[in-house]
Amino acid sequence: MTAVAPETSHPAIGRLRAALAEVADLVHAESVLDWDSRVSMPHAGAASRAEASATVGRLAHERFVSDEIGHLLEELGGVEPELDPDSDDAALIRVTRREWKRDRRVPGELAGEMRRANGLAVAAWDEAKAASDFAAFAPHLERQLELKQRYIDCFDTADAPYDILLQDYEEGMTTARVAEVFAELKAGLVPLIERLRDEAVDDDFLAGPFPVAGQKAASARILDTFGFSREGWRLDETPHPFASNPGLGDVRLTTHYVADDLNSLFSTMHEFGHGVYEWGVASELARTPLGTGTSSAVHESQSRTWENLVGRSDGFWRWFYPQLREFFPEALRSVGREAFVRGINRVRPSLIRIDADEVTYGLHIILRFELEQELLAGRLAVAAVPESWNARVSDYLGVDVPDDAHGVLQDMHWGIGLFGYFPTYQLGNVISVQIWERAVAELGDVEEQFAQGEFGVLREWLREHVYRHGRKFPPGELVRRITGSDLDAAPYLRYLREKFGSE
Amino acid sequence: MTTDPKLDQLKGHLGEVDDLRKAATLLFWDQRVMMPPGGAQARAEALATVGRMTHERFVADDIGQLLDHLRDFEQSADPDSDDASLVRVARRDFEKASRVPPSLTGEMRRASALALSAWGPAKENADYKALLPHLEENLELRHRYVECFEPGDETYDVLLDDYEPGMKTAEVREIFDGLKQELLPLVREIGESGDVDDSFLRGAFDQEAQREFAHEVVRAFGFTDEEWRLDTTAHPFMTSPGHGDIRLTTNYRPDDLTSIFASMHEFGHGVYEWGVAPELQRTPLGSGVSLGVHESQSRTWENLVGRSRAFWRHFYPKLQARFPQLGPVEEEAFFRAVNRVHPSLIRIDADEITYNMHIILRFELEQELIENRLSLTDLPEAWNARMDEYLGVEVPNDRQGVLQDMHWAGGSLGYFPTYSLGNVISVQVWERMKQDVTDVDAQIEQGEFGELREWFREHLYVLGRKYTPQETIEKVTGSKIDSGPYVRYLREKLAPQPA
Repeated sequence: MTAVAPETSHPAIGRLRAALAEVADLVHAESVLDWDSRVSMPHAGAASRAEASATVGRLAHERFVSDEIGHLLEELGGVEPELDPDSDDAALIRVTRREWKRDRRVPGELAGEMRRANGLAVAAWDEAKAASDFAAFAPHLERQLELKQRYIDCFDTADAPYDILLQDYEEGMTTARVAEVFAELKAGLVPLIERLRDEAVDDDFLAGPFPVAGQKAASARILDTFGFSREGWRLDETPHPFASNPGLGDVRLTTHYVADDLNSLFSTMHEFGHGVYEWGVASELARTPLGTGTSSAVHESQSRTWENLVGRSDGFWRWFYPQLREFFPEALRSVGREAFVRGINRVRPSLIRIDADEVTYGLHIILRFELEQELLAGRLAVAAVPESWNARVSDYLGVDVPDDAHGVLQDMHWGIGLFGYFPTYQLGNVISVQIWERAVAELGDVEEQFAQGEFGVLREWLREHVYRHGRKFPPGELVRRITGSDLDAAPYLRYLREKFGSE
Repeated sequence: MTTDPKLDQLKGHLGEVDDLRKAATLLFWDQRVMMPPGGAQARAEALATVGRMTHERFVADDIGQLLDHLRDFEQSADPDSDDASLVRVARRDFEKASRVPPSLTGEMRRASALALSAWGPAKENADYKALLPHLEENLELRHRYVECFEPGDETYDVLLDDYEPGMKTAEVREIFDGLKQELLPLVREIGESGDVDDSFLRGAFDQEAQREFAHEVVRAFGFTDEEWRLDTTAHPFMTSPGHGDIRLTTNYRPDDLTSIFASMHEFGHGVYEWGVAPELQRTPLGSGVSLGVHESQSRTWENLVGRSRAFWRHFYPKLQARFPQLGPVEEEAFFRAVNRVHPSLIRIDADEITYNMHIILRFELEQELIENRLSLTDLPEAWNARMDEYLGVEVPNDRQGVLQDMHWAGGSLGYFPTYSLGNVISVQVWERMKQDVTDVDAQIEQGEFGELREWFREHLYVLGRKYTPQETIEKVTGSKIDSGPYVRYLREKLAPQPA
């Protein structure tokens, strides 16, 4: 059962595709092992699963950085100039070469070590967070930083260390450019927050109660209308929602229902955005390194599109609010649609990133971006992180952190070795609006469509312009192709000011 | 721990092979239980790749060289030690696996996959001809497979050995001939003594209530959320994708109570895997020893426990509480109904006695096929004639005849006999257990299954694959495989009582 490979001009490309398909199959297995461990695995299976994941991950790594693939890339070096640079083959060679060169520098032993450390640290993080005990997590954070340092040491010292990490998630992005964009955002956001922080918006009704059965039905209704089908999708429950795509035709979302808020709806729409991106990648790219979203930031741009640009829009709620009220007649009886939309868009500095509103969210990211750089540069000691965290939250958001569970321990990212990842969240916000402006310019009044329960037009536009390309184009180039411009914070700031500034 | 660095290296490599096997196991479980249908093609590819890599990794030169180095160790070490067993079993597995070229393994896997997808519709339409070319391909590949090995006493030996290592066709034939001799007259006797009413076992049974009851039963047996799952699939199965991770599935049919027995059956498979000694995990020793011994445990929990008087004394009131229509049915009548002996067409629905005739028939046909004494074209006719001869039932169509099971489409030849061997072994082990747990019936009546389960764990499950199946049975029961106890059990339980 071999993949249906598009016609190829050179036999070496066929061989490269076959070798990469094997790697993709192992990554598929790894993805199912991971999904299962978070959704369905009995608790006692964790240790055995960690071993299986480590082995499959290591084999995928070894197969990918093999001499065989190196020789094929070398052989194809001569063919490359003759290829249409926009062709799948040219992109396949380019992306494979970039990753092969990068991954080849990382010894299998270190890759395995990092994987194992992640397993241990995330378990420790879970407990430390529950007990709000940073000291219990600190040794794991030390270990993660040490491994990151060893990882960085595998690369040219000429590069800024943080660049190396950042570019694992965002090809072509530099720390300097992120700093520039974030500075611009900070300058725009801080006064906006100052203006909005004391505005009286009633959102008491968002405390529910919202019975979970109703939330499930509401989530299902939204997803079905967005384009979810049982043929190719699943929706499950996990404490930390995520999206996963083990293979073509198999998109898996998770969400989390809590009776005293409606966050599950937004988390479901967020994960739908990640899922629909993977769903929309052209099927010809499956089982190749091109068969997934192009970068973390562009991925996040799509989750934020469906969560915020769609899911917190007036048009969306013109369609859905009457239905939501039927699901929760008690909690929402006396709440009108406009009050509801104001409530879910209330701007208020708060402690937890994932619950933050669209305006203050950026500052949560900026402070993490700053702390990560300081940690990696050795300018900040692990023991001093909570203090530094709390000071910065107070400085940027004007709120006091009562304990580390609501502070430095709130996110699992550092526990699973993700450094350089946080900035992509905020870049995603920025990109989401750049793409959105282009979509609206072509599609007209999309909110009017939403009000009719019509989301297919937007989804298909995004598929055509963003999703189907997979990783054929690096993120910067993709954004340029779609929007005609480079990464640019201005549309995002304009959007926030228009939506929040003039009320 | 171990002192020989070569042994540690071997363990490291075998651990990786085991990891890959666990990954494939999970992919398979996920495909049947979780995966959206749209993911089928990609999953087939991933499974093929992981399966091939598992094989390649195992038959790799480095493992062969380590096994060579460890010959002296194997000779000098205590043969009962985990390490000596590890080397011994790994060598046996390695020698078997190395004989089959990966290209043939690949062809067999591909042919089975295609045949299995043809089997569904062929069965549905009772269209044997649609499956025939696939069966021919499978049989041809089995012939090539057999040729990879030293000729045994009989061709069938090679196939049987994959499922029941060390067992010979002649031994099975002897056991089955004994069974046939005893069971055919017994079936007749029972038939003449008048039928048992089981009409109340058909009707509308709320599926949610079935689900709750199945969980109640397996929890009493030892299922916990910490280590187990019970999900729903069309064809029930058990699998263990990792240590401390036992997954059962069952099928809640809306119009009968078979889900209860299917759940207990799968629990039996699961508890065997659950009980394998933790030290054997991540090695080739870390699972049940053979299909026959595995089946002995599923049949133990399904039949010896789950169709016993004592079991229903405890559980029948609970069942009645969930299904009010059983209110007027007495416990004794219910007990007799779930133990009704009645020749029928479908193996998986057969009672404890006639079940074996379904197996013997398949065992005989398989040998005739692999020895070219029977052509696949004539198979349905031969099937139907033998059903008439052994069970006195007429097969109305191939859906209820030769097409009912997926095994042959899946390329499994030599598998069927392990089902009846399991029945035979189950009673041998059960009798041995009763010498130690003398009041087992009283315990079951109280809903106590812990001591029983622990006895099985300590005496059988912990051993994993350390010994051959035959050695395992002898260690546990003190005797070789023997159909005597099984036949005695069937007579005592099911023969008509003199008035």
